[in-house]
Amino acid sequence: MKNKYLLGVFGDEEHLLDAFEDLKANSYKIEEVYSPYPIHEILTGMGHKTRMTHAAFALGVVAVLGLLGFMYYAAVISWPLIYGGKPFNAFPSFIVVTLVATILIVTLGTLFFFSARAKIFPGKKAEIIHEGATDDKFVIVFNASDIKDNKDELYRLLKRHGVEDIVEK
Amino acid sequence: MNLDVKYVFPSKLKMLCIALMVVGVITFVAGFLINPDKTWANYLLNNFYFVSLSIGALFFLLIQYIANAGWSAVFKRVPHAMGAYLPIAAVFFILLYFGMHSIYHWTHEGIAETDKIIAWKLPYLNIPFMMIRIVMFFALWILLSRYLKKLTLKEDLQGGTGFFEKSVYYSRVTIFVLALTFPFFVVDMIMSIDVHWFSTLFALKNFIAAFFHGSAIIALIVILLNKVGYFPMLNNSHLHDFSRYMFMLCIVWGYFWFAQFMLIWYGNIPEETAYFVHRWESDWKTLFFVDLFINWFLPFIILMPRKTSRSKPVLIPMIIILIIGQYIDLYLQIMPGTVHENSFGWLEIGTFAGYTGLFAFMVLNALSKMNLYPKNHPYIEESIHHHF
Repeated sequence: MKNKYLLGVFGDEEHLLDAFEDLKANSYKIEEVYSPYPIHEILTGMGHKTRMTHAAFALGVVAVLGLLGFMYYAAVISWPLIYGGKPFNAFPSFIVVTLVATILIVTLGTLFFFSARAKIFPGKKAEIIHEGATDDKFVIVFNASDIKDNKDELYRLLKRHGVEDIVEK
Repeated sequence: MNLDVKYVFPSKLKMLCIALMVVGVITFVAGFLINPDKTWANYLLNNFYFVSLSIGALFFLLIQYIANAGWSAVFKRVPHAMGAYLPIAAVFFILLYFGMHSIYHWTHEGIAETDKIIAWKLPYLNIPFMMIRIVMFFALWILLSRYLKKLTLKEDLQGGTGFFEKSVYYSRVTIFVLALTFPFFVVDMIMSIDVHWFSTLFALKNFIAAFFHGSAIIALIVILLNKVGYFPMLNNSHLHDFSRYMFMLCIVWGYFWFAQFMLIWYGNIPEETAYFVHRWESDWKTLFFVDLFINWFLPFIILMPRKTSRSKPVLIPMIIILIIGQYIDLYLQIMPGTVHENSFGWLEIGTFAGYTGLFAFMVLNALSKMNLYPKNHPYIEESIHHHF
């Protein structure tokens, strides 16, 4: 296929939102929306729900169990030492370390999960769909195969809502 | 939206509050005849409990003003009304003078001659200075909370942003005053029960507990009023913000609780550990862990998901559990040093019921005397349409 994407480039949020609502009402499939700042209506309107919080919670549980388990192993099973008259399993004093290390593990873990999910890694070349999307433009992206049947209608709709530029690439 | 609404205090609820008060009075009379020492301990517990709610609500209010918070503007009359309990509490705390001998070991005649530690603390811990402090603290709290209330009531009549700016300024003053007075109040009233023991985190932990449970009570009052038709603007986002306060404060509470416990446990100095050893003996052991479970673990787990923190059917039982939580927390701090045995019974239930009636009566009565919404508040529109 020659053209993979169709881009509607808007100059401001108001026009973008009008077009966005209209597109949704006419059940067009929108691939992605790029904007210079997060827009609440777009975030909810795209219907993507993040599962990052679940990942973070799961990481937290694993981290807590792992850390406490390791400290129990080290202090009770592998090398039991009495220090300061404490029991081998000096549980309250493990909590501080657990807390701090859990925060670190959850932070790094979510960063890793996010990168894996978004397929980004150090040294990756950025895929810029439109120069304006990195600047002050609002870009709606359509998959060319989704809209090839009613392209003319889509053009009219976008123009009605004051689209600045339509790019096929 | 019509903002000229007044809360009507239903006469049935009024009768219920008065009935609860009567129960409380009867329990107190019976208690003073049968076991005056234990009754005084309950008197202190309940007094402190409801003052902590008022102070916590006041602190909540101050934070809203200082942070220029928009979402809460429409609910601000609730914490304002909760300050109406303070004058009565002041009278009760002055009457505590007659019960000091039962509660505070250090007030006993001639104890300083045999007890070196108490002798050292005598310049601060003596009855006249303690009474002066009580009067001074309550005078400051009542004056400042009344002045803040007066400003917002004037705003209703005259409008403009001047009153709001003045409120912000006086909130800053009040937050300093609270920070300097409430910790001493906690030390006087609760920590001095175990007069040989001390903890530098104690006052702060109780301050957080007051803020925590005060915020929970504000949320409960707002939700219940919403159920009977007031606060029609209460939406999921407001609920979420209320439960964020509870969630955040349960973590801070747990943090302070643990920091105080861990340092003493780890330090293992006999004069410090005595306090926890006493609470770890068989009589109190269950409550000791239930306290941590209810005040930290339950809200932490239940209020974490977005769905539950926006749902009234979850929040109402959660707050009721927290009400019990604050009681257990104070029970564990007061009773081991005064009653010396865990004997929860009719006296505790009756007195708590009486105070609940009194507190509900004072708050709802104060609420019914002013416009339910601060209609000229600069953030009122933002608050009504709050959404995230």
